[in-house]
Amino acid sequence: MADVVVDGLSKRFGATSALDAVSLSISDGSFVALLGPSGCGKTTFLRLLAGLETPSAGRIRIGGIDVTGLAPERRGLGMMFQSYALFPHMTVAENLRFPLRMRRVGSREEQASRVGEALRLVRLDELGARFPRELSGGQQQRVALARALIADPPVLLLDEPLSNLDAQLRKDMQVELIELHRKIGLTTVLVTHDQDEALSLADVVVLMRAGRIEQIGSPRDIYRRPATIFAARFLGGANVIPVQIARGVATLAPGITVPAPSAPDGAHHLVLRQEDLRLRAARSDQDLAVPAAIVAVAFHGASLRVVVQVGDQRVALQVSADDAATWRAGDLAQLCWRREAAVFL
Amino acid sequence: MAGGISLAARLLAVLLILVVSVFMLAPLAVVIVSSFSASEFLIFPPRGWSLRWYAEILASRAYLDAAWFSLQLAVVVTILALAIGTPAAIAITRHAVPGAEIISGLFLSPLVIPTILLGTGLLMMFSRYAGGSSFWALVAGHVIVTLPYVVRTVAAVLARADRAAEEAARVMGAPWWRRYWHVVLPQARPGIAAGAFFAFNVSFDEAVIALFLRTPGVETLPLLIYSKLEFSPDPSVAAAATLMILLTIVLMVALDRSVGLDRVAA
Amino acid sequence: MKREAFLLLMPGVVVLGFVFALPVAQVLLLAFDEGPGQIGAANFSKLFVDSYYPLVAERTIRLASLITLVTALLGVPLAYVMYRAQGWIRSALIVLIVLPLMTSVVIRTFGWLVILGRGGLLARTLDMFGLAPRNFSLMHTETGIVLALAQVLLPFMTLTVLAAMSRIERNLEEAARTMGAGIFATLWHVVLPLARPGIVSGSLLVFALAVSSFVTPMLVGGVRLPVLAGAVYQQMTSTLDWPFAAAQATLLLALALLVILPYARLARARGG
Repeated sequence: MADVVVDGLSKRFGATSALDAVSLSISDGSFVALLGPSGCGKTTFLRLLAGLETPSAGRIRIGGIDVTGLAPERRGLGMMFQSYALFPHMTVAENLRFPLRMRRVGSREEQASRVGEALRLVRLDELGARFPRELSGGQQQRVALARALIADPPVLLLDEPLSNLDAQLRKDMQVELIELHRKIGLTTVLVTHDQDEALSLADVVVLMRAGRIEQIGSPRDIYRRPATIFAARFLGGANVIPVQIARGVATLAPGITVPAPSAPDGAHHLVLRQEDLRLRAARSDQDLAVPAAIVAVAFHGASLRVVVQVGDQRVALQVSADDAATWRAGDLAQLCWRREAAVFL
Repeated sequence: MAGGISLAARLLAVLLILVVSVFMLAPLAVVIVSSFSASEFLIFPPRGWSLRWYAEILASRAYLDAAWFSLQLAVVVTILALAIGTPAAIAITRHAVPGAEIISGLFLSPLVIPTILLGTGLLMMFSRYAGGSSFWALVAGHVIVTLPYVVRTVAAVLARADRAAEEAARVMGAPWWRRYWHVVLPQARPGIAAGAFFAFNVSFDEAVIALFLRTPGVETLPLLIYSKLEFSPDPSVAAAATLMILLTIVLMVALDRSVGLDRVAA
Repeated sequence: MKREAFLLLMPGVVVLGFVFALPVAQVLLLAFDEGPGQIGAANFSKLFVDSYYPLVAERTIRLASLITLVTALLGVPLAYVMYRAQGWIRSALIVLIVLPLMTSVVIRTFGWLVILGRGGLLARTLDMFGLAPRNFSLMHTETGIVLALAQVLLPFMTLTVLAAMSRIERNLEEAARTMGAGIFATLWHVVLPLARPGIVSGSLLVFALAVSSFVTPMLVGGVRLPVLAGAVYQQMTSTLDWPFAAAQATLLLALALLVILPYARLARARGG
């Protein structure tokens, strides 16, 4: 178990800068998710932690030790790859034993018993003698995870570990990862482009963009209080409406205003999440509301996705499918939301 | 992957590259350097520098005839190899031929059958049924050994190209010649170019079949060089060899410019 | 559809049939020709009349084995370096391997004649280090043949192994590194086992080519160190005992096929 401290880490590939002076502190035992679109530098960051790339600048400390110049085989970390990277020419048991052999941990008998334990831990007890190609995707993934953990690393690195699984398996594995983390309490760094994954698994979410950290916070903080428009859009697909604010009043469009008591004057954006919005025939006093014309309605099983027009802006929202009023394109309604739900950026 | 390769490993890699570079290039380098020798004998390093041997081969009947013969041979062989190999490759990749694997293997087999066997057989056959060797006997032999290259490169390119384009052309009502002219052949072009390069180069350089089918009037440049090497060669041989190396380099550069060498290195 | 395929293949099949299958068949037939109207294996028993031909065969196989070993020892590490190299270094290495391959074997052998002969490059270099006198020569020696032919055939080994290594999933080496394996451990436990089919393939190919090689052994070794291909040539052109030559050629074919058939099977197993 160790903490990870990264200081001014940069990585350049030729002329392109993949990572730009990133500093981050990951406390011992926490589960951190690096989240962002492709090309944001999250995978580069992870590979630098592992030692698979050498930084152009900056330092990395793991458990207080400066590992910046250390080769990957000397860092003693556990890493799980997106493709699982199971050795096809070795059995599952031999795959699991590999880290123990390389690190010379214990005698042959001890190694064998640890392999047995690891197999039991991921519920693959009888499959030690099989080859990776004989296992299902989900089973391979569990072997890869067990292999990363078997040598008791101080830090666990996960590179998009669930992206190759279908939706149901992914949900199952997410639960397993959470339980595993609770049981072992290992410092974990997860890289993902899937915001659901990051929000559900991590204690701390690090949102990255273009080689820099955009925002750090708990899942709830980042979701409810995005610091930038990018953060708002990336997490939860929010509506972002440009507004002009003057003396506590935000103007969305000529004649359409809402109060914005604590926001300073000037050009801003109003961030409204789809699930916070409601459509009503008439406004109620507790909510803020603006007139809206319905443009399109799409059926999505448990919910309806509705696009409305407010002034010259398009706004998207979700309503539950058994809502009493059935909305149709061309209808006029009031778009409502609670005062606290609005965020001005 | 750039991370943390040990110094020992790096040094070993550099050492290996140096050894292999010398090993691979020394014979060629030695030939090229020797061609500029001023003396009558092939000593290394040369004791003086001169271009006299180039002047000599460019004025020599024997060398010029051999070079011209090799050139004509290579051109004819290339045209025939392309004309036969390209359709074969199209058939193998684009048409669901039963036993495509076997047919493909058949077309590639001359690559691994000893050329000495082929040379022997061709000499026997042409002697018995055609009164002896001839230009066309040599053409036949060379077409056989160059055909696999054409089939391989064209098939490789066509296998990766978009099949749907040809099917779309068919759906749109194109007759077969239009289909080939507008879709298939353009798609195969890099493969055809590479195949032409290999066919020309292999034929021009080929020595074993040429040796077996050798008769007066049928002598290629490599053969001339070979004969001179059996006895006491003078630097004129090195000059001729250097020009052949130059030809190969020019062809390789031309191929890279038109198609890209990385496609071919597979 | 079928007709189109048939028409496309016809020229090739005809040419292969007449110019490839027929000559080979001709040789096989002649090998069993014992004179007017007689068929038998007399030509083959001639091979064992004295120890000359068995010696030639033994020399051919022995040298081919040595050459295969040398090309493997050099070619496999080289393939790995090429596999890991990036950018211009990789391109340069590919040119280094492919350019000699594209020149005539006569020229490459010519270069070796100058290097290996008396007062040649090798002799002078060794003389500089005091390891051998200036008139040291490896011409007309088996060592010379092995050296020269190894250089001629190295690209075949390297390119075959390189192709096999390129099929190894990139992440596997990285995964091994994160699990504590240094670069040599990674090579030994991961890369080499996975590249083994390529190494075997390359070895079979080099052996087949070495066993049937003519120009290089002829020029470097001379008439006093004949190999099978040289013996065939001698029978065809000086002794003019064609049936006997055919028998030797058949022997050569058998030897080559012994190696080529497993090679072909390996090639088909990994998808051509």
